[in-house]
Amino acid sequence: MAVAALHPGGIAEHIHPEPQGFVRRYVFSLDHKIIGIQYIITAFVFFMLSGLLAEAIRTQLLNPNGGFVAPGTYNEVYSVHGSAMVWLVIIPLLTGGFGNLVFPLQIGARDVAFPWLNMLSFWIFPVAGLMLFSSFLMGAPTAGWMEYPPISLQGAAGTSMWCAAIFLVGVSSTITGINFVVTILKMRAPGMTFTRMPLFVWGQFATAPLLMIATTALAAALAALFIERQFGVPFFDPTKGGSPVMWQHMFWFYSHPAVYIMILPAFGIVSEVLPTFARKPVFGYKLIAFSSMAIALLGFMVWAHHMFTSGLAPFLQLPFMILTYIIGVPTGIKIFSWTATLFGGKIHYSTAMLFAIGFIGLFTIGGITGIFLAAIPFDLHVHGTYFIVAHLHYVLVGGSLMGVFAGMYYWFPKMSGRLLDETLGKIHFWLFFIGFNCTFLPMHWLGMLGMPREVATYDPQFTFWNRFESVSSYLMTFAILIFFVNVLWSIRNGRRSGPNPWGARTLEWQIPSPPHYYNFKHVPTVYGLPYDFSQPLPYKGLEEELTDLPPPVAAGAH
Amino acid sequence: MVEKTAQPARLGRGFWVVTAVLAALAIAAIVFCYVFPLERYLPAAIVTARQVDELIRFMSATGSALYIFVAGYLVYFAIAFRAKASDAPDAIGVQIHDNRKLEFWWTVIPLLFVLVLSIVSVRIWYEILLEPENGLVVEAIGHQFYFSFRYPQINGEVTDEMHVPLNVPVTLNLTSADVIHGFWVPAMRLKNDTVPGLVTTIRFTPRLAGRYPIICTQFCGVEHSEMDKQVLVIEDKASFDRWYKGWQQKNAHVSNALPGAAGQAIPLQGGDVAAGKALFSQKCTACHKVAPFNQTLVGPGLEAVLHDPAHPDLVNGKAANPADVASILENGYTGSMGAMPSASSNGLSPQDIANLVAFLNTLK
Repeated sequence: MAVAALHPGGIAEHIHPEPQGFVRRYVFSLDHKIIGIQYIITAFVFFMLSGLLAEAIRTQLLNPNGGFVAPGTYNEVYSVHGSAMVWLVIIPLLTGGFGNLVFPLQIGARDVAFPWLNMLSFWIFPVAGLMLFSSFLMGAPTAGWMEYPPISLQGAAGTSMWCAAIFLVGVSSTITGINFVVTILKMRAPGMTFTRMPLFVWGQFATAPLLMIATTALAAALAALFIERQFGVPFFDPTKGGSPVMWQHMFWFYSHPAVYIMILPAFGIVSEVLPTFARKPVFGYKLIAFSSMAIALLGFMVWAHHMFTSGLAPFLQLPFMILTYIIGVPTGIKIFSWTATLFGGKIHYSTAMLFAIGFIGLFTIGGITGIFLAAIPFDLHVHGTYFIVAHLHYVLVGGSLMGVFAGMYYWFPKMSGRLLDETLGKIHFWLFFIGFNCTFLPMHWLGMLGMPREVATYDPQFTFWNRFESVSSYLMTFAILIFFVNVLWSIRNGRRSGPNPWGARTLEWQIPSPPHYYNFKHVPTVYGLPYDFSQPLPYKGLEEELTDLPPPVAAGAH
Repeated sequence: MVEKTAQPARLGRGFWVVTAVLAALAIAAIVFCYVFPLERYLPAAIVTARQVDELIRFMSATGSALYIFVAGYLVYFAIAFRAKASDAPDAIGVQIHDNRKLEFWWTVIPLLFVLVLSIVSVRIWYEILLEPENGLVVEAIGHQFYFSFRYPQINGEVTDEMHVPLNVPVTLNLTSADVIHGFWVPAMRLKNDTVPGLVTTIRFTPRLAGRYPIICTQFCGVEHSEMDKQVLVIEDKASFDRWYKGWQQKNAHVSNALPGAAGQAIPLQGGDVAAGKALFSQKCTACHKVAPFNQTLVGPGLEAVLHDPAHPDLVNGKAANPADVASILENGYTGSMGAMPSASSNGLSPQDIANLVAFLNTLK
């Protein structure tokens, strides 16, 4: 008991010595903060590559007859664009990147539960990414990010490389999921009960089981496709007794939850940024937290709404339609709660706040069109058209990516000790916001009027709006270039931020920026929710964090 | 801790003015959705297309009204509650944590809306499902990179346009000879995938004469985007009958002459049983057993296929004869027993077909 009195955190007080060599510190690091930054840098490199592919797509579509690249090449370009944006950009940024960087700090932990596994799951990721892009050398996959057989069985050798690469990313995701679940369950600071966890932690807590469970279905499907392509075992080829629809079931059993893997952490980011800059508590904390869990659970039960045209029996389709409608309820609760959070606030317009508000406005469009698509009669019209392209970009760019940018402007000081430039940031936001809407909003009508997706050429009646979209997409790319310039400039020349430039109240802002290797000198004790600005901070044991006092060397340190 | 003051939050006059403006905008959006329906820009060629349009109107009207309120309040709050230069730098907002009543209602009202939407969409979906079953049968088969069509009274495949008569119910069976395609006619507001090995059905009643593009909506290979050149022709009964007769005459020779892949006739008399047997175990046993007809693997069992008098109707209700079997091997099969690939996708030469028929003839 005497020991417990000295160290209320018990074993969590134990501090490992900081590694000294460059390689152990910055390359094969076990530190969750460094690993998070490694994820973010790697994912943004892949983001640039697949962003270039996106511009190749839009440049092709300037003319109804294409002509920028050959149709075969065009198919490779959009397939790798989709695969890379999902598996190498959005998922790693939101889980491995911001997840690693932020949530262990927010729960008062010294690291994640399995630092070595964390390092492993990071290092699998760039290898898999290089494999995916290397498929261009041997004929990249052409059948979109969904790679439906039998057409994917006809694909060039790169399709097998795609299977292997995505399988590896899946392994990395699964490990991360296990790591995060255990960390959140076991390593919260004393007093950090579930209903005192910051909402970003809730976002990760809802996401991690999805990573852990759903990814295994994808792994099985990818292994089967790889074996069929390489060794001819007929899983999916109907002329040999396989079932092509089985692939669709297995793929969407992963890929629908994957949509929530890509949006729940972004919900978390927005739920942190809004109260900080509105200077008031987030509205309806419990409902926001629990609705994340409801979305995660329901997310497992709606996968076949991607398959309304695949020939399923009608009575099987009905529950998928209704359950998808029902997901709209917890999602709506979040949107209403965020909007209500602004009411009565003292809103400070940092770039992070602009992106968070932009997120609500754009994600809501993606959410509403998602409800439209769940209606079977409507889906039978627009399935496989540009309406889908518009919908998914409103969710993944207007939602997830805007969330990523909000997180970058918000937590960049915690990573680097410096602020991103706010003027460049605001230019970035407005150009991106306008460019994004002009690129993707017209696609809704193009899809409804008859333009199918995944096409290298199109009906000349759609020329005007396609040109308009292509030109707007260049504006988006320009905005993203401003962002990269901002990051590269600010990392050396940005204004020093100090520990807490935003006056935020979660735990990560109560320690230096960037934090020490061991995060907290003393593991703090938590007494309440962080979000009430009229109360003193609900933490004890943080008195020494911003002083020069060295951390105590715990008994048994080596 | 610095003393911070927070004013109580009230719904002031600004809020109600904004609410009134948003309500007006929402009503305008609803009116817009009904004044400019999709039908104005894209013809509704079949009966159920108008019902789908009704659903689109309902959803886009309610969806845009909802969005106007969410986005409107978002923008209004964002502007009205911005920190002003006159505020103290550490001024805080009103510390509202939650409001049970509000949260209750914005959970219950969306749930009720889900209920209404479910009823509306299930009703319209049933209209599509409950189209008459005994209509004119057409089979559409997806190929890389075109659709071919079969009509029960026409021998062979129609490969340019799909014709259907006005106001006569149609049963369209879809399948594919190679990979998955999507059969979409935007003017029908209806599509279904053509899946190899699977026959799916859509039923509809044409209501508006015209020529409507058929578009492939599942990626199917390098020329996928060119697979939008065929049309669905809806025309009056007399024109349809003329077109139909023309195709019947053009294809009258098909069952007799059996042209091979490169135009060569199939040498049915010159089949080699041993070569046929070897080929059978190599190409056919994945789907067919040498067993009675009802022992299905993927396709039916083929024991005594040419000698069983009680043989189920193989082609047009007739007992199987060597020419029919050769025709199936040549052109593939799509129908109640599933789908079988054609000679070109199986890699069979006319001589191979003759050998297989000779071998099948020995199974008694």
